[in-house]
Amino acid sequence: MSYAAAKFPSNADKSVLSVFKLIKGPIYSHCYNADRSLLAITSDNKCLVFQLSGTKQPRMFATLENHDKVVTAVDMSIHGRIVTCSQDRNAYVWEPLSDGTYKPTLVLLRINRAATCVKWAPNGYKFAVGSSARIIAVCYYEHDNNWWVSKHIKKPIKSTVNCLEWHSNGVLLACGGTDGFVRVFSGFVKGLDSKDIMANSPWGTKFPFGSLIREYYHGDYIHAVEWRSNLEKLAFVTHNGTLGIVDHQDHLQEVNSPDGLPFRALVWINDHEILCAGYSCHPVLFAESSQQWKFAKNLDKAARSSSPATTGQPGATGDAEEEENPTFGISALRKFKELDLKGKVSTEQQESAHDNAIVQLLPFAESNGQVVQVSSCGLDGKVVLYNV
Amino acid sequence: MTDWRRIDIDAFDPESRLKTEDLLPPYTTQVTLAELQPKITQLRNLSTSGDISAAVQLAMQDPPYSADGATKAAYFQAVLDTLSQVRQADIANIVKQLSLDQEAVLVKYLYKGMSVPEGQRQGGILLAWFEKLTQASGIAPITHYLSDRRTV
Repeated sequence: MSYAAAKFPSNADKSVLSVFKLIKGPIYSHCYNADRSLLAITSDNKCLVFQLSGTKQPRMFATLENHDKVVTAVDMSIHGRIVTCSQDRNAYVWEPLSDGTYKPTLVLLRINRAATCVKWAPNGYKFAVGSSARIIAVCYYEHDNNWWVSKHIKKPIKSTVNCLEWHSNGVLLACGGTDGFVRVFSGFVKGLDSKDIMANSPWGTKFPFGSLIREYYHGDYIHAVEWRSNLEKLAFVTHNGTLGIVDHQDHLQEVNSPDGLPFRALVWINDHEILCAGYSCHPVLFAESSQQWKFAKNLDKAARSSSPATTGQPGATGDAEEEENPTFGISALRKFKELDLKGKVSTEQQESAHDNAIVQLLPFAESNGQVVQVSSCGLDGKVVLYNV
Repeated sequence: MTDWRRIDIDAFDPESRLKTEDLLPPYTTQVTLAELQPKITQLRNLSTSGDISAAVQLAMQDPPYSADGATKAAYFQAVLDTLSQVRQADIANIVKQLSLDQEAVLVKYLYKGMSVPEGQRQGGILLAWFEKLTQASGIAPITHYLSDRRTV
């Protein structure tokens, strides 16, 4: 099950630290606890918790199974509480017990379609759930009733909410969805958040719960949003392979994916670098220099056509027409020609650590305010750690 | 409950109906045919004078996304006439001079052409454009086309 990173031919740039093949199905979401000793992933209608030590294959620790439909997202609070949400329209909060098990508490979200994403606020006392019902449910615990309360943000969301992210102040909540809008709402909960934290905020003066603070129209599906709280900037990636960066003054900068494939995830490396990933199955680094965001480099990307020994004689494949077009359609054509001529089943070498789309990126290790290791999960059932 | 995905849950909540118009891009103004007519004329002049490259660049600049069906059709016809007047050998050079945004618009008109009878009669030339475009820019313009809500 465990692969040494060195086995991957693409790992020439030494960017892949370790590859964990955890399940057969897709992993839609993963998360870590504060000291990176626990890893939780979604797996069909369950959530699996693993113990992590260094680059060794993670050890199964607990299985959280109460949902009866696909679990779409999982997140862990700074206190170690896990929250899962699912297509069964519910969320569960899992309280870790001293014997290593988890005690589930059902959170009634009061939505009529699937829950799609979930994020704890930085203080760990409330979380937000996005849904296909065009609703964001902000949930917090009420001691008096011993119950998780869910408050709705509805307007003006017009379609499925794909992604959510809390600002480090725990009040501003950014979301993006299939209606093509990136929106910033206030998730201020009376009695839980203090007004002082929003004093001198460049985003406004009043933040009543559910109010729309900003909205930015992009038009394509928004797949991920991430705050850079100290800069008061917001980055997002979209289905047409665009990375966008906006700030509170509505300055928008956009930069395109180098290979044109859609992005699904992003993570800020430092104030001037962002790592994105998606359907190209390897991360892409963008950097800002003199106020301009530009493509910087690919991580873990193999050179396309490998050695001639494995791909047949050069003259045997294609005419001049194909030579002038090495990036489009040629690899599929070559694959079938190989199949036809030599009866080879596949000439495909594994090209990168992930062999299906990457759907989430998380910072894994930081030093001096700079993310040095990034963790990803993908539809291939793998969790991969990258050096940046 | 095997077919629970097919249940129309909106039937019980009349307020939550989502209309197609709700997801249209928030255009501030609508371009009318009269406003667009000078551009169409200019386009036709350029292509009859043989300056296809300039004509294509003009056509791919600010297409009438917000216009109604009839206006879009009129503009599309002018674009199609321009595209089909080019010699096959010139296509690659013209494509090279386009910016990324212009390429994305060109792909929209190519797909639009392939989807209507007027364009299908010119299928060969549209495919030639498509081939040169993907050779120059890979799949990026196609990804943009697929996910873009602004239609031509």
